[in-house]
Amino acid sequence: MQGFAVALQPMNLLWCFLGVVLGTVIGVMPGLGPPATIAMLLPLTFLMNPASAMIMLAGIYYGAKYGGSTTSILLNVPGESASVATCFDGYQMARKGRAGAALGIAAIASFIAGTVGVLGLMLIAPPLAKMALAFSSPEYFALMALGLAMVVLLAGRSMVKALLAMLVGLWLAGIGTDLFSQTSRFTFGQMELLSGVDFVVVAIGVFAIGEVLTNMEGREAAKALPVPKGIRNLLPTLQDLKDSRFAFANGSLVGFLIGVLPGAGSTIASFISYGLEKAVSRRPEQFGQGVVEGVAAPEAANNSETGGALVPMLTLGIPGSSTTAVLLAALVLWGFKPGPLFIPENPALFWGLVASMYIGNVMLLVLNMPLVPLFAQVLRTPTYILYPLILGISVIGVYSTSGSLFDVWLLAGFGLLGYLMRKLDYPSAPLILGLVLGGALERALRQSLMMSDGSLSILVSRPVSAVMLSLTLLILLIPLFNKFNAWRLKALDN
Amino acid sequence: MKRVALAVLGLAVALPAMPQGFTPTRPVEVVVHTGPGGGSDVLARAMVLIMEKEKLLPVRAQVANKPGGGGVVAAAYLAEKKGETHTIGIFTGVWLTNPLTSNEAKVSLKDLTPIARLLLEPAVIAVKADAPYKTLGDFVSAAKQKPGELKQSGGSITSRDNVVRQQLQKVSGARWQFISFPGGGERIAALLGGHVNMMVIEPNEAGEHIRAGNMRLLAQVNDKRLAAYANVPTLKEAGFDVTPVPQVRGVVAPPGIPRENVAYWEGVFKKMSQTESWKKYVADNQFEDAYQNAADLARFYDDFTGQMRGILQEAGVKTVR
Repeated sequence: MQGFAVALQPMNLLWCFLGVVLGTVIGVMPGLGPPATIAMLLPLTFLMNPASAMIMLAGIYYGAKYGGSTTSILLNVPGESASVATCFDGYQMARKGRAGAALGIAAIASFIAGTVGVLGLMLIAPPLAKMALAFSSPEYFALMALGLAMVVLLAGRSMVKALLAMLVGLWLAGIGTDLFSQTSRFTFGQMELLSGVDFVVVAIGVFAIGEVLTNMEGREAAKALPVPKGIRNLLPTLQDLKDSRFAFANGSLVGFLIGVLPGAGSTIASFISYGLEKAVSRRPEQFGQGVVEGVAAPEAANNSETGGALVPMLTLGIPGSSTTAVLLAALVLWGFKPGPLFIPENPALFWGLVASMYIGNVMLLVLNMPLVPLFAQVLRTPTYILYPLILGISVIGVYSTSGSLFDVWLLAGFGLLGYLMRKLDYPSAPLILGLVLGGALERALRQSLMMSDGSLSILVSRPVSAVMLSLTLLILLIPLFNKFNAWRLKALDN
Repeated sequence: MKRVALAVLGLAVALPAMPQGFTPTRPVEVVVHTGPGGGSDVLARAMVLIMEKEKLLPVRAQVANKPGGGGVVAAAYLAEKKGETHTIGIFTGVWLTNPLTSNEAKVSLKDLTPIARLLLEPAVIAVKADAPYKTLGDFVSAAKQKPGELKQSGGSITSRDNVVRQQLQKVSGARWQFISFPGGGERIAALLGGHVNMMVIEPNEAGEHIRAGNMRLLAQVNDKRLAAYANVPTLKEAGFDVTPVPQVRGVVAPPGIPRENVAYWEGVFKKMSQTESWKKYVADNQFEDAYQNAADLARFYDDFTGQMRGILQEAGVKTVR
């Protein structure tokens, strides 16, 4: 209650509104992300009181998560790395003329999950943070392995092709400076590769540019995508909401729990909840062709992750991502001492922030729903304008992230790769999955082995990692089981 | 009217810096080698705020993040900006150690123009509050009894964390594991979760965990005791005769800039290091004010590089230069 007294002050409402609007804008634009935006605004925050400043900066953080889905769905250009999983079904829905429904579901999923995330932050933050500490390298390894096993669910017609694509992704993740030995790997003497290949460059290249190149082949391509007329057809139907209800729950929970872990993050959360949704779905074969749950689950996960990520930051002073690191730095610069005693000693700031996040999520829903029909009109643009526009947005997005022309060339290269993969019928999702998880997977494995002085038993002797690795094995067996079942049914028929 | 007022204001701001012969006329770019939220990034942003508050610059300053290869990308970026008078960079010790271990790190601090050394950051050695070790001696003898079983969390092997470990292992003959984590948060989480036994941590980072009763300090990696930890012994006082390698931060500029430009920057940072805001920032973070001018900084490079090369080679790290 004390929190709402802080958050409902007119000035704080205004800052919250400013934060979420700004967040939405930078979320929609690929490139400039929340950490850079928040860092740029730091000087301004010294003119405000810390509670207002925190409310605004947090608004940017979760507001960006709302906006990130827009370009994923409309243009197959992931605005942030966390919205890559939204591309899978979101863009397919748009191609079928259901862009409005996809955008609407994304906004609703974001709202529900964002609120669940704040609830979690409010109710169980301190005990949860303690539990997160029990998670260490072996558990992270198991979590990443579980995520990687999703490849069998993301595979298209050919498992071999999916695994090959994933291996390429894992290799790409290995490029750069090795954390443990400080030696460079696969950099071919290129200084620009020392920091590795930026995930967003690959995702935008393979998804957006690859898609544009493929579509430019056909002569008849110069017509616009179908956009139904009438507001009613631009919003999600009741059936969509019904289909998504479990995806909302799954995404909210998975996102929040993974968010609490300092070594994971929203990209991993969105992939795992997408995979989970597909694994338990009654229509897994339609995933990737534009099912509404395929949008709801990753979008929910991506948004409840925000509440989760604030848990270790506020209760322990431990940042789990670059955005929380900047927020933490802001607290220090304002003269606070983030750490285990931060919440008990600054209750007004904490509860004000929590209350503002409830309000901010409502604002975002109200702000985003009317934008849905508007954004969906983008697809009315004839393709001879739309495709150059996508290429332009992609190049600007990549260049504005790193300010390096090298990355733009990489983008072109990965665009070509995406085109070839489509021509040869290789699925691109496994490649992205391998790239997202590869680095963390390798790090966690090597850390575990250093902890155990080289013995692999550390991975199975700890209960949490043992359970997750068993789950991984189970998922890996699904395709074999399906094959067996198909053979069995055939045999019965004969 | 407004325009006149602005012009007057602009003049008033620009005046104090006039006599040097060089004055920035467009926004200044401050290059750092970490992403937003990293150590140098936070320092650079605090510095920009202080310079703005104390009116040390007639123009705005913007932080430019050039992460990659632990400083290699940022150093190369500065080297490319040869002769550029409106760009400066914040360096740390890794800018000197990287060229020792990485072939791609062709640009060393010596290829850039030294401006000023600003800070030395001491460190403390921490264990979890319920750990059985009361002193650094306890920890080291426990490590000796079970070689390779105790663990320390830290950054990369060229980081100061590992340097301290190597030095302690050398003088004591003990051996324990060093586990690299990319983020500072993960290192602390590993210690608090009981997955590792010890870590080298920045004093202000440890402060809150000590106050909350989660951490205990065994020693401080410094020549003299920090005011905030007057009852924690230095490495030497704890019985380990090693020279503490400081984490150093300072300012460099691109190569080939005019002499009056160097003098201007030197003046700005000398002034900054004397302001109350800077002193407060240094004290709040328990850093050590270590201002050195350009000439002294150039000499510091050589000492530091030599010391690090020896330590890395002893640690079995492959050096390429």
